[in-house]
Amino acid sequence: MITGQGITKTFRQRGGVLGGREVRALRGVDVAIARGGAVSFIGESGCGKTTLGRILAGLESHDSGEITIDGVSMASLRPRARRPYFRRIQLIHQDPYSALNPTRTVHQALTAPLALRARQTGRPKGWIDERAAELLGLVGLDPGYALPRYPHQLSGGMRQRVVIARALTVDPEVLVADEAVSMIDVSLRLGILALLRDLRERLGVSVLFITHDVATARYIGGDGELYVIYRGQVVERGPVETIISAPVHPYTQALLSAIPVLHGLEVPGGQAVTPVGALEEDKHDAGCLFARRCPFATGRCTAEVPVLGRTGDIPQEHACLHPERRGVVAMPAGRA
Amino acid sequence: MPATPSAIPGGKTASGERTAPGVRIGGLTVVYRTPAGELPAVSGVDLDLPPGTITGVVGESGSGKSTLALSLLNAVQPPGRISAGSVEIDGLGDVVALRGEDLRRARGRHVGYVFQAAQNSLNPLKTVGRQLLDLGRSHGVGDLRALVREAGDLLGRMGLDGARVLDSYQHELSGGMRQRVGIMFALVLNAHLVVLDEPTTALDMITQATILRIIREVHEERGLTTLVITHDLGVVAEVADRLAVMYGGRLVEQGPTRQVLGDPRHPYTRGLIQAIPRLVGDIGEARALPGRPPTLATIPARGCVFRERCPLRMDVCESEHPPAVAHGARLVSCHAVEAVTAGARKEQA
Repeated sequence: MITGQGITKTFRQRGGVLGGREVRALRGVDVAIARGGAVSFIGESGCGKTTLGRILAGLESHDSGEITIDGVSMASLRPRARRPYFRRIQLIHQDPYSALNPTRTVHQALTAPLALRARQTGRPKGWIDERAAELLGLVGLDPGYALPRYPHQLSGGMRQRVVIARALTVDPEVLVADEAVSMIDVSLRLGILALLRDLRERLGVSVLFITHDVATARYIGGDGELYVIYRGQVVERGPVETIISAPVHPYTQALLSAIPVLHGLEVPGGQAVTPVGALEEDKHDAGCLFARRCPFATGRCTAEVPVLGRTGDIPQEHACLHPERRGVVAMPAGRA
Repeated sequence: MPATPSAIPGGKTASGERTAPGVRIGGLTVVYRTPAGELPAVSGVDLDLPPGTITGVVGESGSGKSTLALSLLNAVQPPGRISAGSVEIDGLGDVVALRGEDLRRARGRHVGYVFQAAQNSLNPLKTVGRQLLDLGRSHGVGDLRALVREAGDLLGRMGLDGARVLDSYQHELSGGMRQRVGIMFALVLNAHLVVLDEPTTALDMITQATILRIIREVHEERGLTTLVITHDLGVVAEVADRLAVMYGGRLVEQGPTRQVLGDPRHPYTRGLIQAIPRLVGDIGEARALPGRPPTLATIPARGCVFRERCPLRMDVCESEHPPAVAHGARLVSCHAVEAVTAGARKEQA
């Protein structure tokens, strides 16, 4: 179990049309990933979802807030003592082309971390090769084919499988998949997604899935939780299916409305929400952070800060002063 | 339409032309020289772009879609070359036959091209405005002020602050802004045929939706013929009137977008649609396609290019390339589909 409480992070950058000054990437986010569970972060690029994933994986520092892993507060430990904890959380990069060393074979890529693992756990040398083959089998690759090969001899989909196998060498509890399929060919994407889903079932690893594509989040963790993140804040949180079928925050509705409709197969949801302007132009911090881009904003929205929580009979948590269910998702067209 | 004829006084043919051109690609074959000999990236492609329409070409990496798009500019680079076929563009003729200065002039004036990863195709050392002036000078534009005005108008049309963007360097613009700058460059010389290669790749959903809406609106307002190349069926579904599906250098199915998506015939088209996770319905119905797409070296030289991954594979698929057969407004290249259609006809008789 990993929890984050009140996580904040501010980046300082310089100059440019996009403003410069400070970027408040995270403004006090609470997050919890249960063992074997699935959590998905969705939001536009720049909303902070990747930063949050990196902080939870121990790859980025945070300014304030507390992270606990299996009940142990990371702040209470010295950096060296944190390492074995953060090793339980493995990040799978978006780009399988740059995540692997091009001068090393798959065998080398897997056996290096496995050798370390064998030393730590006192296993015999023979275990290393055995385990490498086993892990490749687990991610759907033929060890005989893959082990002697260099990354450039493998397709994008195969490379991403190798990256996943490498992450599994340290027996992680959580896989953080940040846009893990966006660079993979369309016909192969679903295979990688199915693999992540399968690993959840077979190994009991939890998956933190970071994406802007809600449908893939649904595929990986349809039974899990969805966090909708806007400008470093969670604006809606709850079961994936609940939020997709009845989103109440206009930002969630805008994200769902932006998903292309497969005309001929689907009909548009009817109440599509288009946000005003662009994320990078939205600099106002007073009241609701989405108010300036929200087509439903009232005077109250620019004055009052909405807090994430439940209201009325709405099952999911949200941070909207005027929550309303809208049908924004495309529905299957009636087939003749 | 904010037309500024004064911006293109040097154009011999462009000045009079204000209508969307039709494009007829016939028997187009593009080969790349490799150690294993010349291998076809595009094989015998026939595709018409009717004037004023948006056509989407969908394919995975290695399908030949980007090579096809470059052929519209006759811009395939060595070791590749167009080895057969023609690309007839109204008002320009067969671009495959164009050479040198004629070709350079045609690019930009007749055919606007938004490159894949337009986000990274700008010069990082020059402001957008300076690059615009370079473009104007290289095309002999007399009135550069009018060109800048037109660029500003176009950027404004796409929801940007024109003056500010022209004053900016690439790194000062977001991905969505750069994509719009790419579209501006493609249109500013008043081209009426526009090719967009992966216009929304690497953009998030909301920015993608904005760019697709802009493509559609600008297409209609300026009276364009548009070709969109993408790996994403959703992009085509959203923006294109007609859809062509490419695999292993061949077009396997083409027709009106709604027909192709609503009732796909080719097993590859079916597989692609089924591989998309959806927001509603049973998520378990999504199925991955077995196998993987061919590379230049593994595209079968004979028979159907898709047979390795095809659930309907027959003996004839090994030896004979399936011809494109018309089914109403649609063309499908599949032996199995024809066998089923022939069977159904027999039963009816």
